[in-house]
Amino acid sequence: MLKISGMDAYYGESKIIPSLDLDVEKGKIVCLIGRNGVGKSTTLKSIMGLVKTPAGSIKLDGEEIIKVPTYNRVKKGIGYVPQGRDIFPQMTVYENLMLGANPKNGKEGLPPYIYELFPILEKFEKRRGGDLSGGQQQQLAIARALVLQPKILILDEPTEGIQPSVIQDIGRAIRRINSELGLTVLIVDQYLEFVLGISDYIYLMEKGEIILKGKTSELDADEVQAKMTH
Amino acid sequence: MVQFINTIFNGLSLSSIILLTSLGLAITFGLMRVINMAHGEFLMIGAYVTYIVQEIFVKIFPESLFSLYYFAALIAAFAVTFALGALMEHFIISRLYGREIDSLLATWGISIILQQAARSIFGMQGVNVKAPSFLNGGVSIGPCTFSHNRLFILVLVAFCLFIVWFIMYKSDFGKKMRAVMQNRAMAQCMGINSKRVDMITFSLGSGLAGLAGCSVALLGSIDSTVGQNYIVNSFIAVVLGGVGKLIGTVFGSSIIGFASIGIENYTSASIAKAAILIIIIIVLQFRPQGLFTTKSRNLDE
Repeated sequence: MLKISGMDAYYGESKIIPSLDLDVEKGKIVCLIGRNGVGKSTTLKSIMGLVKTPAGSIKLDGEEIIKVPTYNRVKKGIGYVPQGRDIFPQMTVYENLMLGANPKNGKEGLPPYIYELFPILEKFEKRRGGDLSGGQQQQLAIARALVLQPKILILDEPTEGIQPSVIQDIGRAIRRINSELGLTVLIVDQYLEFVLGISDYIYLMEKGEIILKGKTSELDADEVQAKMTH
Repeated sequence: MVQFINTIFNGLSLSSIILLTSLGLAITFGLMRVINMAHGEFLMIGAYVTYIVQEIFVKIFPESLFSLYYFAALIAAFAVTFALGALMEHFIISRLYGREIDSLLATWGISIILQQAARSIFGMQGVNVKAPSFLNGGVSIGPCTFSHNRLFILVLVAFCLFIVWFIMYKSDFGKKMRAVMQNRAMAQCMGINSKRVDMITFSLGSGLAGLAGCSVALLGSIDSTVGQNYIVNSFIAVVLGGVGKLIGTVFGSSIIGFASIGIENYTSASIAKAAILIIIIIVLQFRPQGLFTTKSRNLDE
């Protein structure tokens, strides 16, 4: 589904990621983990075209997208939930959702499963995005990405700063998105328990390089833990 | 009583003129945070376009159609400044987003170039626009007289304000516009072509400056400094009202307009100017973000 090969990524003038290879198989939930500041978010931003990627290749469904501007990558089927959610605070929940909807569809632009997955959003439709709690904003951010009807959903630290019971809700929603809607999912997170519970495949990153990868079921959780905290 | 009503009307009239010149700024400066020092020159261009359209009508069309020139001028002034705004955004502003000081200097340079160009083309002497016949005279109610062209500007301002409000808050484009201005990267991640939105938004602000120029052409002679005369009040109105809020610009303009006329009536023009600056300093002491601010729980804001 998504294949990154030999990609360099820069943040400003400094090279954060040298020659990255990463593969996200269709229909799977893949997690990219690692400690703070190793380049996980930069990897996701590279996929979205939000940082400079002068070398390498990013293929979505076999199509090269490394030179495509961000807004067109989105149209090709990448949904992005950024770190810190980035809800538009002054817009209502509904307006936030409708931004991604095709205006030609009018009110029916929202796919019906959005409110079914996140009932809280229907209840708070008229509230301003900035007035929601962190967990609610996270759900809104995921829903907003789904409105674009992507093929692959990319989430940056979906558990950050969210209370455990809401993390479970979000985990359940992601699993349903994956199994019922058939979306491929790529998650960056640091919360190992969450990652082990949800993923099919894990990449462990250190200083911009992948130092460990494998199927979640075959990886030794203690080894992963040790490599993340050493 | 008559004097009181006149003061109110003059205040309203001045407020409306300031508001008209500020509307464009409310978009380019308030929404986009681009300090466009050449905004006043777009106003000047709008005024000169009005003059040019008038000359064309005098030469080509029979006298009976002369009054219609003003409607053509309104459209032409908007179209020309809209197009110039698009060019300027594409070649200069779009390369300087996030670099306020650089864009300030670059647009200041453009401002100087445009002023000199006006002097080279039209000469040092100001040119005059003849108001169309239906704007001569005024409406008399009892002992009070309200001049037609000031009433016309009031209506024009109300119309522009409604259009801008509709575009910003009701239209689909406005939603995209606000999304891009609030968070450019995230808007792109929602599939919004932010470059196009930036360009149209900036052009719209410039076009409104052109319309303002078209209406100030009715009030006095047009020369290369006409933009400079209005631009300071406009910036003050936007800052006073609170950057990024349309309603703030309306109140900002009204406060400046009514206060100038009111204070001027009882003292003198120069004291009124000083008094207004004092009012603004006091307001900004207590509300540094302006009168109307946007609140949110998001700590990044």
